[in-house]
Amino acid sequence: MGISDLLGGFADAITPVNLLFALLGVVLGTAVGVLPGIGPAMTVALLLPATYVLEPTSALIMFAGIYYGGMYGGSTTSILLNTPGESASIMTALEGNKMAKAGRGSAALATAAIGSFVAGTIATLLLALVAPALVQVAINVTTADYFALAVLAFVAVASVLGSSPLRGLASLCLGLYLGLVGTDVLTGQERFTLGVPQLSDGIDVVVVAVALFAVGESLYVASRLRKGSVQVIDHKGSWMTRQDLRRSWKPWLRGTALGFPFGVMPAGGAEIPTFLSYAAEKKLTKHPEEFGKGAIEGVAGPEAANNASAAGVLVPLLTLGIPTSATAAIILAAFQGYGIQPGPTLLTTEGPLVWALIASLFIGNAMLLVLNLPLVGLWVKLLRIPRPYLYAGILTFASLGSFAVNADPLDLVILMGLGLLGFAMRRFGWPVAPAVIGLILGPIAETNLRRALAISDGDLSVLVDSWFSRVVLLLALLALVGPVVLRVVRGRRATPTEVAQAQEEDREVQKAGDREGWGA
Amino acid sequence: MSAPATEGTRKGFPGELVGAVLLAALGVYLLVDAGAITIPNSSNTVGPRFFPYAVGGLTLATGALLALRVLRGDRGPADDGEDVDPDAPTDWRAVAVIVVAFVAHALLINVVGWPLAVALMFAAVATTLQGRMTPQAAVRPFLIGLTVGCVVWIVFVKALNVALPGGTVLEFLTSWF
Repeated sequence: MGISDLLGGFADAITPVNLLFALLGVVLGTAVGVLPGIGPAMTVALLLPATYVLEPTSALIMFAGIYYGGMYGGSTTSILLNTPGESASIMTALEGNKMAKAGRGSAALATAAIGSFVAGTIATLLLALVAPALVQVAINVTTADYFALAVLAFVAVASVLGSSPLRGLASLCLGLYLGLVGTDVLTGQERFTLGVPQLSDGIDVVVVAVALFAVGESLYVASRLRKGSVQVIDHKGSWMTRQDLRRSWKPWLRGTALGFPFGVMPAGGAEIPTFLSYAAEKKLTKHPEEFGKGAIEGVAGPEAANNASAAGVLVPLLTLGIPTSATAAIILAAFQGYGIQPGPTLLTTEGPLVWALIASLFIGNAMLLVLNLPLVGLWVKLLRIPRPYLYAGILTFASLGSFAVNADPLDLVILMGLGLLGFAMRRFGWPVAPAVIGLILGPIAETNLRRALAISDGDLSVLVDSWFSRVVLLLALLALVGPVVLRVVRGRRATPTEVAQAQEEDREVQKAGDREGWGA
Repeated sequence: MSAPATEGTRKGFPGELVGAVLLAALGVYLLVDAGAITIPNSSNTVGPRFFPYAVGGLTLATGALLALRVLRGDRGPADDGEDVDPDAPTDWRAVAVIVVAFVAHALLINVVGWPLAVALMFAAVATTLQGRMTPQAAVRPFLIGLTVGCVVWIVFVKALNVALPGGTVLEFLTSWF
């Protein structure tokens, strides 16, 4: 099945129009990925209105390009910009930034771009192989199982993303509430609309996503804008020497092996695998003295892990309809905009669309390598955009995207209201992603829950009827309680850096113990 | 990483307490208002109230727990980013200008058209963020905003058929398209 379907996908993706949209997607994705303050989730959200005018295949190919492009662009920013950035690329920044300062910026950019290409290609291939097999399993999933999966995704996203599980839950609750506003799908009753007629259709996903990401971020940055001119480090030196390559290829493969499975898991996202990859490379390197001063392995591994997890996130999205990152949630909303519900039946009902999407990921990846290596100078210019214009521009596009939905100025007022919420969340350290996932996955979870309970005549035991749902709900419970227990034991939840330090210390203790013979 | 600089350095009254209390209040509202949702006769099992009750309960519990934790001194680390200065004091004036300018532009769209409304908003935001709030300093941002607004309008309206009021002048000038 797989190979011929994939070849068919390539045939669809190589049409001039779709190639053009793939190119448009990767160019836009790289451009906005390079721009500080704009992540892939915000870009996809801002461009969601494009689904009103484009046909599904073209739009989804473009979104896939944006998704991958954003990952490439982000690494350029973290290597060349002299300030710390977002969490997923912070591991790249650790060594990449040092390399750039030491005059080896070009080598850092090259290992990041080639590593992203290698990881993206292998991970997309894994996606093409795993997806059909997973669909075979998922096709027997009941509505109760589905609800259990949604619960696991909620809990995992809330407790993994951000600084504390409770703050993740707070954000999730806000998203679930926003998802409830509007007309109940199953009975047609209005809920929480406050009698405002515009709210009876619900609050549009575009408005919420753009508000929380674009407007919230603009307000937050404006409140604490780094003054003075933007400092960009020159990228100098040769692209890649033979020795760089020798030191890079193993970290690329190890990063891919770490990133993909983590992306597939319901607690997806790139934060954990990039951190693990960094820790692994630091342990395995033959040049431990370079770590912290610009070791190429510390760029190669985390970058590969970052991109592999991006492909991994697409597995639960395309086979189960479960988004595990904010970007995936917004891509899911794009599918829904076309009346397509991702889930186990997606590969059978929309096979050609999905395979064209996967094929375009391969094509987009190759385009990105070309765009990012020889043309990197172009993107570096974008890094220098004066920040007042950048954030005014983000607000301009936020206005465009949200107004285009219904042509109603009230939407823009709601946008600003929710933007202030996003601003407050950033100040309090509440992660934004759980809110977006709650908003989009909440209604799906409710529908499945009620269908399951309708079949069982309201008997709640149907929710733990199958082994599948029991295991999944148990995992959800562990994800919820685990961090709390850990915090009680250790005082509070550790950040990745602290975990790294702790592991380092553990190893030291272990070594000392071995030496003194306690180990036995 | 510069985490220690951002964590728990903000002193004074914790704004997050307000957030947590409001979240708990949202939970109460959800629980109360869920009781007001009409249940149609046709639904004999779990109706439209069930999930709202569950979300309301979860929201109330989360808000209450979070409020307690904040009271006991737990602070979330404020978000960081490339353009964020973790040590800078909050510039409330910039936030206020953006909010006012954005709401004003929302109300102006149907009056003067999207390109001009957005250009005014762009100028207000960019001028404020520049830190120089004189009329002369606003000229360049306004011209850039107007150019961006017009180009975006032409691309989205003329090429992509998005519905967006252009304002009398621009719509007249481009009516030959």
